[in-house]
Order: sequence, then structure tokens, then C-alpha cells
Amino acid sequence: MRNAYMTDELEAIYEQTVDFVAKEVTPHGDAWEEAGKVPREVLQQMGELGMFGLRVPKEHGGLGLGMLASATFSEALGASTFAGFDVTVLVHTDMAGPHLINSGNDAQLAEWVPKMLAGEAIFSIGVSEPDAGSDVAGMRTAAVKDGDGWRINGRKIYITNAVYGDLTIVAARTDLENKYGITMFLVPAGTEGFSVANKLDKHGWRCSDTAELILDDVWVSDEQVLGTVHRGFYETMKNFQNERMVLVGMGIGAAQAAIDMTNAYTQERKAFGGHLFDLGAIRQRMAMNQAKVDAVRASMYHAAWMHDAGQDNVKAMSGVKAWGCEVVNQVMYDCVQFHGGMGYMRESAIERMYRDARILPIGGGATEVMLEEVAKRSYA
Amino acid sequence: MKILCCVKRVPAPGAKINVTADGQDVDAAHLGFTMSPHEECAVEGAVQLIEEHGGEVTVLTLGTGDAEEQLRYAVSVGATHGVLVEADTIQWDPQRTAQAITAAVQELEGDEPFDLIMFGNESADAGGFQVGIRIAMALGRPIVQGIKGVEIGDDTIIARREIDGGFEVYELPSPAVLGIKEGLNLPRYPTMKGRLASKKVELNSITASAAEGGQVRVKLHRPEETVSETVILGMGAEAAAAVVDVLDELGVL
Repeated sequence: MRNAYMTDELEAIYEQTVDFVAKEVTPHGDAWEEAGKVPREVLQQMGELGMFGLRVPKEHGGLGLGMLASATFSEALGASTFAGFDVTVLVHTDMAGPHLINSGNDAQLAEWVPKMLAGEAIFSIGVSEPDAGSDVAGMRTAAVKDGDGWRINGRKIYITNAVYGDLTIVAARTDLENKYGITMFLVPAGTEGFSVANKLDKHGWRCSDTAELILDDVWVSDEQVLGTVHRGFYETMKNFQNERMVLVGMGIGAAQAAIDMTNAYTQERKAFGGHLFDLGAIRQRMAMNQAKVDAVRASMYHAAWMHDAGQDNVKAMSGVKAWGCEVVNQVMYDCVQFHGGMGYMRESAIERMYRDARILPIGGGATEVMLEEVAKRSYA
Repeated sequence: MKILCCVKRVPAPGAKINVTADGQDVDAAHLGFTMSPHEECAVEGAVQLIEEHGGEVTVLTLGTGDAEEQLRYAVSVGATHGVLVEADTIQWDPQRTAQAITAAVQELEGDEPFDLIMFGNESADAGGFQVGIRIAMALGRPIVQGIKGVEIGDDTIIARREIDGGFEVYELPSPAVLGIKEGLNLPRYPTMKGRLASKKVELNSITASAAEGGQVRVKLHRPEETVSETVILGMGAEAAAAVVDVLDELGVL
């Protein structure tokens, strides 16, 4: 057993995912980074193997598992070392998908869940805007009632999976009197007025497609409202802890891979009459990195377990997100350092992993926002 | 129909193999394990046969409790049952291994023999090419090695062996034994549900018993790593002249 929270089911998820990424992702990832895209075929293959249904209730064709399953899945994806791939999958399964599962009505679930499970439709979540990232209250995209539907105008930015994806869950302000009066809409790609303004050019996560979206007089029907009108902000919040956690999970999976490859490299690399790993400065720093990663991993699984046990885990998960993502970056920094000049070369995996890690303390709730979540729950 | 696949737990390909200090075994401390690729194809072939004709696939391995991992993997891709023939180590000599598995097969069969027993053509680690043949002989059943195609006929097994420019086709009376080669098929991935099911399946356990066969390992030796150098002669058409020079130097022009 990998840790105290593991069950046979979770072990199976870990093995399945690690095996899959080792065979089908890592050998091809460099080409995907170059292309700026994860091929749809590999996502459909994952769909066929049932890898998108961990959190989908059994009655809708999934496995109906809890947050520990997402922790396990995300950590195992991280072993791919291609975080752009990991986030493509996790936005679909753990950031956008859950909103449909949590708030969708019968007709919406019947239409979209089978496509989501099969990887026929890839999902994205459209919340962030140029003036509204972690602070959702600054959202300017607005929807006004228009006949049997709504007319949406605005812009969205940094939307993962929205260049090549099929369905964006768009958040728009519907109650101008209330800063939290937001409604979620299901907006399929190709809807008139809904377009990609830019495919964004990023520091890392190069194989993940990221869009700036324009909603120009987009009309959607009442049937495309996801959940309750004006209640979208609160409904979105239901998935915040999961979204935060899977970013930590994929980061920890990658950090462990980075430690393993750096230990192997420094144990092979000859210098000063021995191997690099024989130097106390290196072996002790790597040992400390391992200890930190172990601690973050344990904290993450514990916070996931709290959720599955019905406990409030906002403080715990926010802390894990803040600290864990910083740790992943510290580990990547050291791993580049101990790869020497090779670590600075674009051909080395560690150079890419270092770039990929940088977004983790920014996306899905910046470290500073996460620490506030902890701090405001820390008054005696 | 009833099919038995015999598989072996071997170090995952591509791993750096170290030898224990006494030279008697592979140092497994940092190794991942898998089943031999030939056997992965055998399991896939067996599962395809029962999907088409109905029946059950039993997967058997001889080894320590660690080898349950390979049995459960086989179940995750569609095998029905798993049997561990428990031994103190996986590295029994081929004669002893064959004796123990033969006894286990006889115990499993009772009066109802497996219609088909499949082995990998050879194991991916020791490469002895012996166990399947010894068991077929002990059971008095026909065996063909090097098989890359299997079909079920009327009370017969039709097996195809690849040769230069074509296939040899064999028709064997059932029950029969086949040594399967990689390339028979493209083994499927387990589905997530298959993986979950494999964790819950109850494995059968039989204690291995057989006398040592007489083949004694003297010592394992890890050859020195050979260092090779790659020279990039150029990119695209510009490299053509340099390539011609190299071919000329080698005297192949």
C-alpha cells in the first residue's frame, strides 16, 4: 500500500494510470509540446478505458468514487512528466466535469456525460477574465434574459482546453445588484458569436491548449443554464477544493519523478573523483526534497480523506495548495541545479518540468489567496 | 472452452539490471516487474478466443507471492481465474519448474483437461525455451512453438507459425499446447473497471513441489557497459555527401 488511505480500488487507479502514461504519454509528449496540442485520439483512448469516470456517479456510467480517487489519479498522471497533458485531462475530469455532474439536470446529464466519459467531448471551464481571476467578484462577462434564453457578452482568458475542446462551462454575471449573482451556462464550441480570440503562448504546459475567448452576443437557451440562475458562484465553489487538490497531485507526481531522475543522474555523473550524489551538499538537499514531497503528499491525501469523510477541508486543502505548490517549485529548482548545464537545455525533461511547475502556485487559487483562506480560519 | 495460460514474472524491459553480490540472482531492489511479452500476447489471444467461443481462461504462474501482481494484471485484461503455484523463489531450474507446473495442471484439471494450454515461446529473462515443451511431453500432448496465429476448429486447434515469406499451419488435436510468440496480437490495456475487478478476484494457491532438476546456475555476470558515440553528419539533404563518404569508407558502395 502506498499510504494509509489506499484501498485496493485506489491502488488499481494508480497502477492503471501510471502504466498508461508510461506507455502512451511520456514517449510522445515532446511531439505534443511542439504541436501545442494533446491528440484527441489519446483522450478518447483514455475514455474507452474508463479513465474519465472516477468521479461520475455509477448511475451515469462512472465509478462513483470520492476525492481520494482524484488525489490518486492526479498524482499518477504527474508521473508522465508532461504537466500540459496532465492538466488537459484534469480540467476535463476534475475541474469542468464536476460542475456538470453537481449541477446538471437530467437532460443535460443525458446529453453530455456519455460524451465526457468517452472523450468524445472535451470540457473546459470559463471563469477567469482579464480583471477577474481568483477574485470572481470582478467578473464582467454578463448574460441578460432574452426570450427563451440568455444573451451573453464578454471575454474569458486563460481557459484550458477551450481552443480544441467541445464544451465550455461559462460563468456570467446575471444579477447586477449582487456581486456574487453569477450563472453558469453550457456553451458548445461552434455556438454563434462564441470564438477563440487567441491561442495563448505560455511559459510551460506547452501541449495544453489555452484560449482567450470572446462571447459576442452569444444566445443560449434556458436549457443551457447549468444549475440555478444567480447561484453559479456558490455552485462553482463546491468544486474548489477538488480543483486545488488535483493541481497539487499532478505537481507531487511530477516532483517525485524529478527527484527520481535527478538522483539517478547525480549517481551516474562523475565529478571530483566520485559521483555528484556522493557530495553532501547534493545528497542532503535531495533527501530534504524527498522529505518535503512525502509530507505534501501525506497532507494532500489527508485533506482528500477529510472531504470523503464528510468533514470541512477548506483550511486543510488551502494550506496544502499553498505549501505544496511552493514545494514543487523548490524541488524543480534544485533538480535543474543538480543537472548542471544539461538542466538548462531544452532537450532535458527537467528543464520542461521546471517551466511547467511555475503555474502551480498561480492557477486554481494563487498561494496568497490560499494563505488567506487558512488565515481567516485561524482566529482563536 | 477451457484455456490455461502459463506466465512468468520477469523484470520490466528497459530496466537497468544489477546482479546480487553472490552472482546468483537479479537484484530486484529497484526493479519493476511484468510478465514476458510473449505471454502477454498469449493471455490476450486466450481472452479473444473465449470472447469468440465462450469459456474460461485460467492464468497460472510459479513463484513467490509477489507474482500475484502478474496474475491480477491478467485478470484485469480479461482472464477469469488466477493460480499461484507457490515456490520459495522464481528461479527454479526448468526441469523442476516443469514438474511443479505439470503437477499443478493435473490437480486443476482432474478429469476435465484444458482444451488448450498456452506458454510464451520463451521467458523474457532466462530464455530457456524448455518449460512448455517439458510440460507438453509430461502431459502427453502435442506442442508447437513459435506460434503467431491461433484458431479453433472442430475438436482441433489450428496454429500458424511464421516462416520466411509465409506461415506453416498446424492442426493439433485438442487438448494441445502452444508456445506463443510476441506479435500474435496487440495486447489490450486493462480498463479501469478491469483493474478494479482484478484487485477483488480471489486467487487460487497451490504449493509447488518438485525435486531439483540438475541444471545448476554457476554465476550471473553483468557485461561491462559499452559506450557508443553518435555523430550527427548534418540535417536533411545537406547530410547526403557526408553519408556517402561514410558508406565509401565502409566499402559498401
